Amino acid sequence: MGQVIRMPVDRSDTAPRVTAAKADVAPMGPLARWDVDDWGRDESMARIAARFNHLRWSTTIGGHERLPKRGGAVVVINSRRFALTPWFVALSLSDEIERPVRFVGRPDSAPFGSLARRLGGLLARPDEVAGALRDGQVLVIGASGTLDPRKLGDIDHRLVGPAVELNIPVFPAAVAVSQTSRSARIEIASAVKPSSKRRGPLSELELTDRVGNRIARLLKEFGGARTGTPLDWLPFSGMGGD
Amino acid sequence: MLVSGMGGDLGSRVAALLEQEDWVGDLLGIDADPPRRRLQRAAFHLSAVSDHDRIVELVTDFDPHVVVHLSVWEPFSRASPKQARSLTNDAATTFLGAVAECRSLESLVVRSGIEVYGRARGSATRPDESADVSPTCEFGYMLAGIERTAAELGRRVGVPVAPVRLGGVLGPHVPSPLGRLLRMPMVPFSALADPPFAVVEDVEAARAFVAAASRQLAEPVNVVANGAITAFQAIRRGSRIPYPLIGPEWRIARVVAELSGAPIPEHVLETLHRGRLADNSRMEELLGFAASGSTVEVIDKLYAWPSVVHVPARKQVA
Repeated sequence: MGQVIRMPVDRSDTAPRVTAAKADVAPMGPLARWDVDDWGRDESMARIAARFNHLRWSTTIGGHERLPKRGGAVVVINSRRFALTPWFVALSLSDEIERPVRFVGRPDSAPFGSLARRLGGLLARPDEVAGALRDGQVLVIGASGTLDPRKLGDIDHRLVGPAVELNIPVFPAAVAVSQTSRSARIEIASAVKPSSKRRGPLSELELTDRVGNRIARLLKEFGGARTGTPLDWLPFSGMGGD
Repeated sequence: MLVSGMGGDLGSRVAALLEQEDWVGDLLGIDADPPRRRLQRAAFHLSAVSDHDRIVELVTDFDPHVVVHLSVWEPFSRASPKQARSLTNDAATTFLGAVAECRSLESLVVRSGIEVYGRARGSATRPDESADVSPTCEFGYMLAGIERTAAELGRRVGVPVAPVRLGGVLGPHVPSPLGRLLRMPMVPFSALADPPFAVVEDVEAARAFVAAASRQLAEPVNVVANGAITAFQAIRRGSRIPYPLIGPEWRIARVVAELSGAPIPEHVLETLHRGRLADNSRMEELLGFAASGSTVEVIDKLYAWPSVVHVPARKQVA
């Protein structure tokens, strides 16, 4: 005669389960809902960082309506040395257009690399850029940093190349961020199209040059950091400054 | 059709799916362990990978058209890293060598993993199939070795070879070191990095092998669930106690985890420190189906799967 196997009735109260149940009531409960996306971007953390951004800067964004509502796009910007301009632009744009915007050029060592990844950072590798663009992501690529905020550094054409290859629009954008006041401005121009005459890698090089020229023109249009009389520099005057 | 490693969870799942396919005629399986589930049509031979002559004879006599090579031992899944390496290498040599002698061979599908991409500093965060194979852990080297051997074999005998690169495979019966670690009551994680990783459910992995075999795929394909999760998020979803570690104490954590029955192999440690993602966007194009679930869902299932309940003998007989 077969013997009936008696299952332990107190199975749900095994030691690991009791420990786990205790852990469940820990104050970190809501953290369980935090998710990262396919690229490791943490939406909750990016939102918190964007709030800090708002506290520090009052950002005016022009031309954001040019960015596509769906699908990939590349925004190429000027950047200032040590100012994390691509991070700032990605967070600001993300908040404005209500879709994740990633920046290219994160470090790959903890803890800064990990933090940058949580905020939407990608490595400055053409294959990484190509993968994200195929996935329909909006990317911010910064030129090399300069000390003079009105000067444009070098734009890495290898990072812009995947956009040309995948037929993704490339938008030049000029960024002016005041280090002393709260004013910051991002101006996005219309997409620069690659030359239809070129079939090879020259297309990327020429597109990068044209994007660079467009950004330089936008920076020139911004004017100097401080214009007008010294009275205008004062914050709350309604004229310049803040 | 020949399935090496049919005894394992993945192998028996693949065999069960192949039995339902109209295009599959005779089905032969060889492994050192008997299949984990009931199979209706498959013929199975119990044979250790060291029994080279017997395996070669079985394979050459059977003369398969399609071969799915699943004889891969993940370190610390069912064998120590040293044993796993030795068994995997022996199996690759024996099975792939025998398969090369089969005149009717049309297609070869091999089990690989996203560990082959490596996680060196500066390497792509989410590599696609075109990324360089440049492993940085023992398991990655093992899998890259299988891919290389299979590719050379394919070139020599003129058959298409499809390496199916799986993310960490989790399932209710899969002896996964990552799954085992995450299910511990207290789980260590890297406090400074806590990088994202992706996994795949065993059911999806099995489907991928069947699809690769039926389409006679001739290129690698990444098979991972959508999305990603970090160790800390997984720990919180499973209501485990997170134990943040910064650096040197990982050595102690490894020893403690091993003593607790969940040893941490090198590739899992690498996953916890550097993350492990892969681009699965070509799955639909290459396999005919896209990933159906997300990594978060697989992790939630991991915590929902019942634990093994040890029932002591009521009467001691020996």
